[in-house]
Amino acid sequence: MRVALPHMGNLYIAFKAAFGRLGVEYIVPPRITRRTMSLAVKYSPEGLCIPFKLTLGNLIEVAELGADTLLMPGGYGTCRLGYYARVQEQILLDMGYNIEMVQMGVSEQKFLGLLRMVKRLANDAPWPQIISAVRFGIKKLSAVDRVERVVQKVRAVEIEKGTANRLYTRAIEAIDEAEDSHALREAEADYTLRLGRVAVDPGACPLIVGVTGEFYVLLEPFSNLDVESELGKLGVEVRRTTFISEWTKFSMFLNPLGIDEKEKIHRAALPYLKRDIGGDGWESIGEKVLHSGEYDGLVHLAPFTCMPEVIARNIMPRTRENLPVLTIICDEQIAKTGMLTRLEAFVDLLERKRRVGNTNKQRVAV
Amino acid sequence: MIKVGIPRALLYYQYFPAWKTFFEELGAEVVVSSPTTRAMLEGGSARVVADTCLPVKVFLGHVLSLVEECDFVFIPAVRSVQKRIYNCSKFLGLPDMTGAVIPESPPILEVDVDINRGKGELYKSVYRLGRYFTRNPVKVRQAGMAAWQAYLDYREIMPGSKLTPPEAIEMMSGSPWIEQEKDTSQPASEAAIALIGHPYLLYDEYINHRLITRLKQAGYRVVTPEVLTARELESAVDRLVGGAYWTYEGEVVGAGGHYLQSGADGVIGIMAFGCGPDSLMMEAVRRQAAVSGSVPFMCLTIDEHTAEAGVVTRLEAFVDMMQRRKRAGVCV
Repeated sequence: MRVALPHMGNLYIAFKAAFGRLGVEYIVPPRITRRTMSLAVKYSPEGLCIPFKLTLGNLIEVAELGADTLLMPGGYGTCRLGYYARVQEQILLDMGYNIEMVQMGVSEQKFLGLLRMVKRLANDAPWPQIISAVRFGIKKLSAVDRVERVVQKVRAVEIEKGTANRLYTRAIEAIDEAEDSHALREAEADYTLRLGRVAVDPGACPLIVGVTGEFYVLLEPFSNLDVESELGKLGVEVRRTTFISEWTKFSMFLNPLGIDEKEKIHRAALPYLKRDIGGDGWESIGEKVLHSGEYDGLVHLAPFTCMPEVIARNIMPRTRENLPVLTIICDEQIAKTGMLTRLEAFVDLLERKRRVGNTNKQRVAV
Repeated sequence: MIKVGIPRALLYYQYFPAWKTFFEELGAEVVVSSPTTRAMLEGGSARVVADTCLPVKVFLGHVLSLVEECDFVFIPAVRSVQKRIYNCSKFLGLPDMTGAVIPESPPILEVDVDINRGKGELYKSVYRLGRYFTRNPVKVRQAGMAAWQAYLDYREIMPGSKLTPPEAIEMMSGSPWIEQEKDTSQPASEAAIALIGHPYLLYDEYINHRLITRLKQAGYRVVTPEVLTARELESAVDRLVGGAYWTYEGEVVGAGGHYLQSGADGVIGIMAFGCGPDSLMMEAVRRQAAVSGSVPFMCLTIDEHTAEAGVVTRLEAFVDMMQRRKRAGVCV
């Protein structure tokens, strides 16, 4: 049995670590490239969203490498996502791959569903072993996410653009290679230190832009043309509230205790949208409302034809809380130049707004 | 008398008799928007971002046409009507979205329909709706019961008398003309074309360019999902995709599966561009058509730009092909 899971950001690190400890053969899919996209577009029904297409393309690539047990999120919900595993399995079988699709019922059973699935794949290994392996995977993911937060800050103010990204790539490799918790802690400390030593502009006061939207396009840089790095190059500090490690932490430990990390965001969105519409539409509106005083602007990422995000985009411009929002629709037609032009224009606008806002304040003070 | 406006769009075709009965039992007057016009579609489209789907744009156009006409607009948020089977996000966000993009709209009457939260919650939600009209819970209960009975009658009438939703709504409101019209409008041709898709696309003559009328004029018998019983639809859904995922899966996958097997010489699927659920459901039907190969299938994707000539050309090509297959005896 060779297990694989399509790429979504750095998620593979956790699965590789956990399955490695349990002795399950895990294949890391090839990085998402133009080839993934071509395969995806060729074999997907045309009206589906980019998360479906890219995961399918990646599943095809990993099936070519011999993976036979493929993991995809599944279950019930108001978004199409829960249906994807069924359709993708059918497409892969039609293409002649001898695979089995395992659905992770993450939307209903949350973390428990994930644990049960891992136990099944690990030939019913004892619970202590499974929990320790999964914990190690999560530790790695949390380390990656902590480093990423530092990178988001450094990118905006570094003097030689690209330094932080280079260190970030190496940090991910080091964390991925760490054999035990000790090595992991060292790798994280090492790279945090190195990032701290990157030469930065001491007088810089970067714009702060939040990035929000649908989970997959938010976390998979290929699908959003690495919008966070591009914003960093323009001297913008990016803030993102969605991290995979956060999701795990809450769904495993805190949600069962009745602590909902999203409650604050949902409460903020309540005056404009009274109910959960599936996907991340409610959160997108909530983030705009919640951070309007704190951020200079918000970049909203949405897959083309995403149902919850369409609702969110229609409601967002009508909130009383004022925060400039740039919506970027992600699909197979997205082009870097077009996106860069829009980002530059957006950042120009935010800079001007800050300047004008400051002079206005001074006038009031005088 | 309080006037309640109901847009003739989206779930109107599924539940209108029930809604009408409910509000009338509570002493309100029901105002229905007129059939879709070009002005409605343009007005609705102008309010929302471009990639909002066609039926939602049409819906908003209907709400706009009701602005001066009523005291309340009724917009339910239907999340689920069966256990563990959910609806598209658009239906859930509809009341809030309408309020956001049409600020001048009359106050919106909302009702949360979510069977997964239990019947108790549903009753509470209906009661909250009734509070706009009466303080007496018994009256709300009676109105709810009458509405439920009207819904059951409506669902029974359609397969029983082979009526489409607009015909059934006319008949239940007591128009006598429909019976005569029906006799002349259904030609005695043996060739039948099945139309599958959501009723808000099949029966909105403006957005589908009078599809049903055109096919009937060309001499075909037209069959639709509503003339099938719930059991027939359900068993076809099970056969094709192993159980429903979407609330209105029967109209597409169920009807498609049924008619590809029996009862039609050709199947035409109608979907709106950018429809999330249909992108998967039509795919399931298309796959089944390709596998079985005995009945021709075509999917028409419509949006606000669809030119009439394009639809006509594709329909002609489809029926020509269907006829040729039939003559050649390929069709069993």
